Amino acid sequence: MNDTGCIHLTNFKAAKGTNPYKIIHAFFVACTSYEARRYKATSCLCFSCGQPGPRMHSCLHCIYFACYGGHIQEHSKVKKHFLYVDLSYGNVYCAQCQDYIYDRELTEIAMSHRLKEAKSLGMCVPFTPWIPNNNEAMALRRLRKRRLISPHTTIGLRGLQNLGSTCFMNCIVQTLIHTPLLRDYFLGEKHKCKAQSSGKCLVCEVSKLFQEFYSGAKTPLTLHRLLHLIWTHARHLAGYEQQDAHEFLIATLDVLHRHCMNGVEDNGEKKENGRCNCIIDQIFTGGLRSDVVCTSCHGVSTTIDPFWDISLDVAGPGSLEACLERFTRAEHLGSAAKIKCSNCRAYRESTKQLTLETLPIVASFHLKRFEHSSQIDRKISAFVSFPAELDMTPFMSSHRRAVEAADNNNAPEGIFEDNRYSLFAVVNHVGSLDAGHYTAYVRQMKGSWYKCDDHMITRASLREVLDSEGYLLFYHKTVLEYECDVS
Amino acid sequence: MTVNNTIAHQRLILSGDRERFKELLRKRLIECGWRDQVRMLCRDVVRENESNNISFDMLVTRVTPRARAAVPDTVKKELLQKIKTHLLTQKDQ
Repeated sequence: MNDTGCIHLTNFKAAKGTNPYKIIHAFFVACTSYEARRYKATSCLCFSCGQPGPRMHSCLHCIYFACYGGHIQEHSKVKKHFLYVDLSYGNVYCAQCQDYIYDRELTEIAMSHRLKEAKSLGMCVPFTPWIPNNNEAMALRRLRKRRLISPHTTIGLRGLQNLGSTCFMNCIVQTLIHTPLLRDYFLGEKHKCKAQSSGKCLVCEVSKLFQEFYSGAKTPLTLHRLLHLIWTHARHLAGYEQQDAHEFLIATLDVLHRHCMNGVEDNGEKKENGRCNCIIDQIFTGGLRSDVVCTSCHGVSTTIDPFWDISLDVAGPGSLEACLERFTRAEHLGSAAKIKCSNCRAYRESTKQLTLETLPIVASFHLKRFEHSSQIDRKISAFVSFPAELDMTPFMSSHRRAVEAADNNNAPEGIFEDNRYSLFAVVNHVGSLDAGHYTAYVRQMKGSWYKCDDHMITRASLREVLDSEGYLLFYHKTVLEYECDVS
Repeated sequence: MTVNNTIAHQRLILSGDRERFKELLRKRLIECGWRDQVRMLCRDVVRENESNNISFDMLVTRVTPRARAAVPDTVKKELLQKIKTHLLTQKDQ
């Protein structure tokens, strides 16, 4: 797109600079502050007809607001003020060129205002597509080889050899390989290792794995190096016997998180809220809110703890939504479970409620199908249905606040929130407690599901995935939203 | 379509909720494919115009009625309902 402006705009900029545009834009197009919004709310009316629209424009040459229903055009003709700004989008119209004109300098000013506006309103930053910098553009011109992803591609799919009951590891690896944001991070080579190729960094090993999976090669891989690294850093999982896939997932995320932040040495220092800025935390960490209400004084004691997954009790056949509803239901803690109320300074009965304060980009659900007690070890095989698309709104803390506020006639929170998630991986345990086997379904692309059974990768239908028993369920936020930089 | 310059309208701008509603609408219109549809409509109009001398105003005049008609009812309903609820709860405060 031509963004060199026009001769008329260039002349105007030479005479008056970019300030006229800057001021108009900051106050009436992308309001960068509360003050600016005040001006816009009260004075943004057509000088001719008094209406706030349609399509308000501001003259660039003088102080004059007018709508596109003939009034700005009239002003322009009469005063010979040929440049005016569209207040809906910030574009400059040149009446002499009879068209909207795009100027790189003004576009950059507009962009910086939009960022300020988003920050001022606590909104997400508008998405800007990736544009290569000079080095990247040069590299792209020099390296001419391109890979075309066709609709029937099998890229990203490779089998994994079972090294003797290592199907639990294979399933978790398949899940991670097909986690979109994680894949983008590793294929973009974002990991800068502090361990200097010592061979001990799990993140480097996973990075190599991503290269293998997306190389286009089809022979099954053997993950003995990965397995060894996990054993070294998570001793409780060492050994060739069958382990629990869920435990393996948590252990793997933990080691990756430690190695991301501190290199291989374990001198971890987490931020106060338990979140660091490593890719694992950015993708997997959410906040679980616990509210304990004293039944006597109604004082609320709140804590928010970080979580990587949600473990749900399975009480007979049902649905994932029902499990989540039970999980976030207010529970009365009986007289046998009194807690010390800091307000009453005595032991009182209370109600406790868990809700989701912040959701991770990848929400992982663990259905607690394995019961281990002193009497019995058993597996609960009851069918729990789960959807391909899941809206997490009913389980959010903000939603519960909104429901309570609505009862009190206050403004609802969260009407602008988007809590939609899409299923992208399912890990299943087939068989009994003693003789079982793990398989995984992964979504290679939208509409394309594959069953991963160790070294055997086969095409699967969504119906097949949704009919499977489900042990670990992985959902990815459907629409990504970008935060403003904290500065 | 004229919008009344009421206190409600001013409040929407001041609180930033007008921007938030605009963003929600933008998101929905992209998700349902409307934006891509309108892009195609614009291409069609440019092609239809044999004289190759199409102006911005001409394009807007020709595309707007078709684009308006193409907005799905579900999107209209959702936005109207959310704005209405929002304004009603604001009113009581």
